[in-house]
Amino acid sequence: MQKSLETGAQLSKEDLIKLSDEAKNNATPSTFKIIWKEFKADKMALFSLIFLVAFIVFVIVGSMFINVSQMMQTNIMNYFAKPFTSNFLLGADAGGRPILEQLIVGSRNSILIALGLTVISSAFGICYGLISGYFGRVTDLSMQRVYDFMMIIPSFMIIIEIVNIIPNYNAITLTLLLSLFYWMGTQRLIRSQVLAESQKDYVSASKTSGSSNLKIIFKQIMPNISSLIIVDTTISFAENIGVETGLSYLGFGLPVGTPSLGTLIANANDADNITIYWWTWLPATIEIILLCLAISYIGAALRRATNSTQRRSTD
Amino acid sequence: MKNKELLKVNNLRVHYPVRGGFWNRIVDNVKAVDGVSITIHQGDTYGLIGESGSGKSTTGKAIVGLEDATKGNIYYQGMDITKKSTRRKLKYNREVQMIFQDPQLSLNPEKRIADIIAEPLRNFEKLSKEEEKIRVIQLLDIVGLGPEALYKYPHQFSGGQRQRIGVARAVATHPKLIVADEPVSALDLSVQAQVLNFMKKIQEKFNISYLFISHDLGVVRHMCNHIAIMNRGRLVEVGTKDDIYNHPMHIYTKRLLAAIPETNVNQRKAHHENRLAVEKMYQDHKSEYYDEKGEALPLQKISETHFAAIPKSRVNLLKSGSGEVSD
Repeated sequence: MQKSLETGAQLSKEDLIKLSDEAKNNATPSTFKIIWKEFKADKMALFSLIFLVAFIVFVIVGSMFINVSQMMQTNIMNYFAKPFTSNFLLGADAGGRPILEQLIVGSRNSILIALGLTVISSAFGICYGLISGYFGRVTDLSMQRVYDFMMIIPSFMIIIEIVNIIPNYNAITLTLLLSLFYWMGTQRLIRSQVLAESQKDYVSASKTSGSSNLKIIFKQIMPNISSLIIVDTTISFAENIGVETGLSYLGFGLPVGTPSLGTLIANANDADNITIYWWTWLPATIEIILLCLAISYIGAALRRATNSTQRRSTD
Repeated sequence: MKNKELLKVNNLRVHYPVRGGFWNRIVDNVKAVDGVSITIHQGDTYGLIGESGSGKSTTGKAIVGLEDATKGNIYYQGMDITKKSTRRKLKYNREVQMIFQDPQLSLNPEKRIADIIAEPLRNFEKLSKEEEKIRVIQLLDIVGLGPEALYKYPHQFSGGQRQRIGVARAVATHPKLIVADEPVSALDLSVQAQVLNFMKKIQEKFNISYLFISHDLGVVRHMCNHIAIMNRGRLVEVGTKDDIYNHPMHIYTKRLLAAIPETNVNQRKAHHENRLAVEKMYQDHKSEYYDEKGEALPLQKISETHFAAIPKSRVNLLKSGSGEVSD
């Protein structure tokens, strides 16, 4: 049996390399190439991507040159300093603190928390959904009851309560705390897709090929829902910027003295600030709008790239 | 039998519970497979035939281990492999593989052909990257595909090519038995022959046994030596190709045989009349061949190789009289 197979097609090492190269030239473009093509075809998405990446790099690098504790000191002489002056490009707030620097450091804080939150909650939600949907039966039943329980909890109230109870916390603990409550949407989406995928024959074929359940889940099923994962993660990133910002706006986010987009927007709580000292809150608001717009453009391009019927690029 | 017995299915039952009522209790069972016994010999092609919903696919899935048996046993080379743990211990799926019905669904659309065919190899055999690649190229060669297929995705192939890739994956670990679950019913006629011939070629080369599940009697005649007819979860007739095609006993078998399309246009009228006659006979004698629950009767021995689920009175009639009973 073995013998007949070997005489069937005897290959030398050189042949193998040659054939492999040949096959590689015939290979289909990888997912990343397709995504890149789609971005090139959609100028708005490409611009959004460049803007987003450049902005994130700028605020991270820029905040390295800013001494936060010095910046956050109250200086009564600069009380509501006007914008577009040499020292205060975007003016100052009621404490004489420069808005531009606050904006840079605050953006870094908000974006990094949103990124961390997205990575942790999406990773957990994806794993949860994959396992729940794949195994089904009792596993699914019990996991979904846990999900139901998490859904009926008023998460925002609980987060505010916990923030009040914990004596001292920082950006990392806040991220972990938020991640506890923001994985449910992802898991529901992933689970519904996995329920459909796991009934397909290729899963049965993998089972008869001797693959373990974990291998099937992460190597067979996950690539098939990758488009869903990419799109959902992008959109939840935009959402998560809002989570931290909203919390800080209410005053329960990052500890006092740490700037964030939310604390800047909170300046708009004052009627005087809204009408006269517009520079205290307007830049942060515009920034959030721009960020969320850019992310949604990127998300739309990614969604099209992963669905061959909607692609704008031509190959 | 001159060949060794490879697989023996003994009184296999696969029931699905139907839950209902206030406490979600089991109120009934769907008897997908209800007491099926078959024996497959080495190098043989065993045809399992029935209409859709007759439980033939479930039987096949239970044999490869995709469905759990509710009752009954499956013996592979004398060992009971009904339990999952024994199957894993024996590396059972290295020896028993499956070809699926729809190649569109059975090949992972996100995987390259090289990965798809190498999957069983990676799980059951420890090969180096290079050995693995050589093996995959050889397997592609066996099913008539070139090495340029290696890095392509399944959607870039035609239906027939895809099914051949499925065949290549099934034979990758040199199995002794392949369960082919309607391997050609999703393909058009010209491609059907192509895939079937590859399957036959591979059988001769590696001495593989097939359990060939199909509803297409023409294809089964081309492929199989032994045939079992299934209806409503039970076997209604078992025999050699000659027994089934030339001496059908059960009315269901006769009905199935009458449904084979004929290409001879000149005798169209005769065929049509024959079909009407068979159908009339089926309607008239239905109550004799099925019990009050609509289930098939137990199998009766007719000859050494031939068994049919016919009423006892008819068997006696057969033994006393000579030859076939006319209806």
